[in-house]
Amino acid sequence: MQLLWPIAIITFKEGIRNRSIYGISLLALLMLLANFVISGMVAQEVSKVAVDIALSAISFSGLLLVLFVGINLMAKDLDRKTIYMVMAKPISRSQYLIGKYIGVILLITVCMSLLSFFAAVSLLLIKFGHPTFFQRFSWLMVGLSFFFTTLMLILVAALSFLFSSFTSTSFLTFILTIISYIIGMSLNDVKALVEAPQSVGITVSPVTVKIVQAAYYVFPNLSLFDIKLQAAHGLPVPVTYVIGIVAYTMVYSVIVMTMACLIFRKKEFP
Amino acid sequence: MISFASVSKEFKEGVAAKRVRALSNLTLEIERGQIFGFLGPNGAGKSTTIKILLNLIFPDSGRATIRGMDVCDKNVRRFVGYLPENPYFYDYLTAEELLWFGGKSSGMAKSAIVERSNLLLDKVQLLESRKRPLRTYSKGMVQRAGLALALIHNPDVVILDEPMSGLDPIGRKMVGDIILELKKEGKTVFFSSHILSDVERLCDRVGIIVGGQLRLTGCVAEILKGGDTLEDAFMREVHIAGLKEVR
Amino acid sequence: MRVSRIFPIVLLVVFIPVHFNIISYVSQANRNLANGDEVNVLLPSPILKITSLDYDGLVSDALYFKAMLFYGSTYVGEQQRKIFDWEYTWFYNTLTAATDLDPYFLDPYFLANGVLGWEAKRVAEANLLLAKGSHYRNWDYWLPFYLGFNYYYFLSDNTKAAEYVMQAAQKPGADPFFSVFASRLAYKGNRTENAIIFLEGVLKTSRNETMRKDYKIRIATLKLMLTLEKGVAVYKERTGNNPEKLSVLVEQHIIDRIPEDPYGGEFYVDNDGAVKTTSDLRYMKKENSKK
Repeated sequence: MQLLWPIAIITFKEGIRNRSIYGISLLALLMLLANFVISGMVAQEVSKVAVDIALSAISFSGLLLVLFVGINLMAKDLDRKTIYMVMAKPISRSQYLIGKYIGVILLITVCMSLLSFFAAVSLLLIKFGHPTFFQRFSWLMVGLSFFFTTLMLILVAALSFLFSSFTSTSFLTFILTIISYIIGMSLNDVKALVEAPQSVGITVSPVTVKIVQAAYYVFPNLSLFDIKLQAAHGLPVPVTYVIGIVAYTMVYSVIVMTMACLIFRKKEFP
Repeated sequence: MISFASVSKEFKEGVAAKRVRALSNLTLEIERGQIFGFLGPNGAGKSTTIKILLNLIFPDSGRATIRGMDVCDKNVRRFVGYLPENPYFYDYLTAEELLWFGGKSSGMAKSAIVERSNLLLDKVQLLESRKRPLRTYSKGMVQRAGLALALIHNPDVVILDEPMSGLDPIGRKMVGDIILELKKEGKTVFFSSHILSDVERLCDRVGIIVGGQLRLTGCVAEILKGGDTLEDAFMREVHIAGLKEVR
Repeated sequence: MRVSRIFPIVLLVVFIPVHFNIISYVSQANRNLANGDEVNVLLPSPILKITSLDYDGLVSDALYFKAMLFYGSTYVGEQQRKIFDWEYTWFYNTLTAATDLDPYFLDPYFLANGVLGWEAKRVAEANLLLAKGSHYRNWDYWLPFYLGFNYYYFLSDNTKAAEYVMQAAQKPGADPFFSVFASRLAYKGNRTENAIIFLEGVLKTSRNETMRKDYKIRIATLKLMLTLEKGVAVYKERTGNNPEKLSVLVEQHIIDRIPEDPYGGEFYVDNDGAVKTTSDLRYMKKENSKK
């Protein structure tokens, strides 16, 4: 731990000072501003549309954060050989990787807290403007959704670490991470579709069904983290589900990071 | 202090996995307190040798040790300082933070880090710009910051890959003085260069490597005694190796 | 000044106006390009669910806005709407998709009821959506209430109507007038009056200006019809027969004059003595607006 901390700290500092963060925050703020206009156009459920937009804005900016800042923190080390300087210290490759990951988790948590704060302020103002249309609104659920989004990003970041442990360029890591994100997000729906293809009138070969079912266990099931709908309508989410999601994040990240460490241990930096 | 025992390394190149021999059967011994200059043309295997010492790449066969410990052991690097060739550090960190990281990860106490980093930054003349992010530094300044980072934990063994490249004459003199100072403190310095005058001025011993093979090792004084300059010796070795390759 | 310094300025002065001309030409030309009824294309909901990643709610909102903006754009002038039948189909499909992505979203159900029920007289489709909404939003009293009303007013199914309105009355926070209304619905008759009560109840909670305007005109028309119905009732009491024409009521001094239908139709009385209008509570299409 004593060795992980310095790496985590410089990773966090390097990330938080990155100019891209300003751009991403600006984008999030613009989306939150647009929320005032859009939610004003709704006749009944202002709260639902406002929460939808706020949560989606945060989740999208968070994804940009992982893709454009998080990946770079790791991949640029390899691209630009910054890793030489780190590896020259009494730090093993696994310690390096885990320290980096802790730094990225720190970065995601801090940025998401900040963005969520802005989102909460925007919701508070909209709520103030249309108090009668916020009857089923629940701060607890909105907060829980922010938390789940953060967990989802931490998981995606772990995957990006796995990819950069065996790819040679940051661009490849970027592409692979986006693909896994898309697969992870649509996996639940795709599985539902191929298991009941008659709903849209298509036929699916049994091989495809098997492949999708296999992918279901390999790729992270990111749609499990999406409780925006429940948050938007103030529907309950049981405590056991929250515990389950936290456990899922931890177990999956540990598996992915262990694999990344195993690959990274054998990696050379010519 | 530093020893290579018949170390070989091959690289796979490209999709066709064409094997390129970067280092063959390198055996070398460097004693405590020596300044060893590692000479060779571009692509001769100097950087490969150094990367093996830092465990950045793994030898195919043979063994490299520092102070008798295998370089695979990360604890070796507690007493090794390293300056990479054309170093590149983090864009948004300051020199001060870079040194903090170097000291902290070597297990230094906070007060010791502050004291030592101020000393070193003064020595490499970066004290005034220590709070500026590294991306605003010139190439020479980055090189000097890297040197300070290599020395932050007061290592016994200092490995410098092309420490003079990219420096102006003043910077080169500064680095030369630091190397001589390290010698005075009894440290072992292993540095690669192709600037022969620097090597001649600073080193106790030199090794000349061409095409992955160590052609010559010896004391600088001995080589110069025969009336040769270091350049003569160097060109001769390159020439012989080159002729062999042609045949 | 040297040419090299003036040149970029000249370039900008010339090209910026040209830019405006070109953009207006190209966008005009783009409108004239041959293209199909692209508005009618909608992906099936399972595919939409996959492609919307974790933005299901947002896509649902977008589809709802699309449907709403479409409805708003169908005004082709004062008291004139131009909607084709296939556009109603698209409208229904869009709102179905919106509520597939987020079945708890209230607004699409409201919009579907207002447009598909009253405007398009596609009550079956409106009811399908309302039933879906009542199933998911099981705390909500408006949706079963609307559903009940549709059964009563459009489908003349009083039993089902009373059942749904009773259901609505039992939801938490339901207006106490619901249970009174439910018992009223159990009897045939008073159709127009009930419709007015219903619409005034809806108007109280509706905030959408387009929908409010529609409701207000509808209530005004129904009130006119209610006056005429009362006149018919008086006539029947006097003569024992239904009037053949509404003008008879004026002749008998039961009413002053036959009012004008705000929808542009004409009120008339059918053989059973029921007051109706040729507009059927929809904006009449003027002859020249046919495509």
